Amino acid sequence: MRESVYDVFTRKERGDRLQHVGYVDAFDDETAKVYAWTTYSEEKWFEMCVVKRVNVLPVNRTDGLFVEAQDSSHD
Amino acid sequence: MSQLTDEELMRKVQGGYMVEGPEDMTEGYRKALRVQLTVQADTELMSAPSYWMAARHAPSTNTQVSAHAIIQDELAHANIAYRLLEDIGESKERLVYGRQPYEFKHPYGFDQPLDNWAELVVATGFFDRAGITLLSDVHENTSYAPLKRALVKIGMEETFHLRHGEVWMRRLAKAGGEARELVQRAVDWMFPMTIEWFGLPDDMKRHSGQLDFKLKGLTNDQLRQVWMASTVPLCEELGLDAPAHWDEDKSEYVLDYPFPCQYDAVEKHWAFDEGEISWDAVFERWKKRGPMNEIYVESVQRSRLDVQRWLTA
Repeated sequence: MRESVYDVFTRKERGDRLQHVGYVDAFDDETAKVYAWTTYSEEKWFEMCVVKRVNVLPVNRTDGLFVEAQDSSHD
Repeated sequence: MSQLTDEELMRKVQGGYMVEGPEDMTEGYRKALRVQLTVQADTELMSAPSYWMAARHAPSTNTQVSAHAIIQDELAHANIAYRLLEDIGESKERLVYGRQPYEFKHPYGFDQPLDNWAELVVATGFFDRAGITLLSDVHENTSYAPLKRALVKIGMEETFHLRHGEVWMRRLAKAGGEARELVQRAVDWMFPMTIEWFGLPDDMKRHSGQLDFKLKGLTNDQLRQVWMASTVPLCEELGLDAPAHWDEDKSEYVLDYPFPCQYDAVEKHWAFDEGEISWDAVFERWKKRGPMNEIYVESVQRSRLDVQRWLTA
């Protein structure tokens, strides 16, 4: 059961910033949405989105978890 | 992995440097963080079956919902902590499904059965407060940025759990009679259980690196005091006997029983009258684990292999 990392972004109220609140492991996009919604249930979010970590492209750093995700997606 | 030595990294984090990932860590830092996160994750995970098996004692559909909301939170917290472990090179799969029951690092309190609604609410009132005490300190002081961020959510939810516990403790204590007796009996075994949870006293504590690497800010004895500073007044307000009191001269809470002491897990009874025992004897009891250890771990692991087999068949 190979899972991918999905980063979770939320906006608490209209007008707020979209913030990174955490991440989940999931089999696919649909389960990622469900896991994110049930895991990060501490607020009544106005908006929540998930992004598969390999789709987050690092701009300035050459190390760190986002770079690692890019590297491992080329394995 | 960082090129710094442990001592150099210790100095940096003491000066406010935040670690963002394995690339910033020394091996010493990674090991200390791994130990801390494993205890945190295992504790959150094993609270779930403990609360889940007790939730059947909930007295209404509303309270069933609130008990299960707590369980859902605990599982999410466990998942987040195991995810953080994965970032530093540990396998979540192995940690959750590949270990024997005795290898989990949660406290002895979560190896005990919760036998009625009063025990469940005192557990959320006492154990979850211990969780908040420990994790608030980590949140305030940790040098590991991903954990600091994750703890915002966890702190909010643990606060709800302990409020739930307190509201129900108050309700049952006020009702008097059997309800009150059951709460008192739960306090009798869970108060010393939580005190023990905070571990070795400072004068015996082995050096772990967690303070030097700024993975926490307070010592075991300080954390025990923080927990008592909110728990003892609560018990006093509810007219419940708690075996500790405020000592004016020492300016701290003092236990009214020999600490540590032996525990009879079958009778749920602390042998105050048998006097103080050594911490080696405590570690031996912890190592043997409590009566529900295998049942709780098995309940978490049992379907994994079956379902994996169906999916790959």
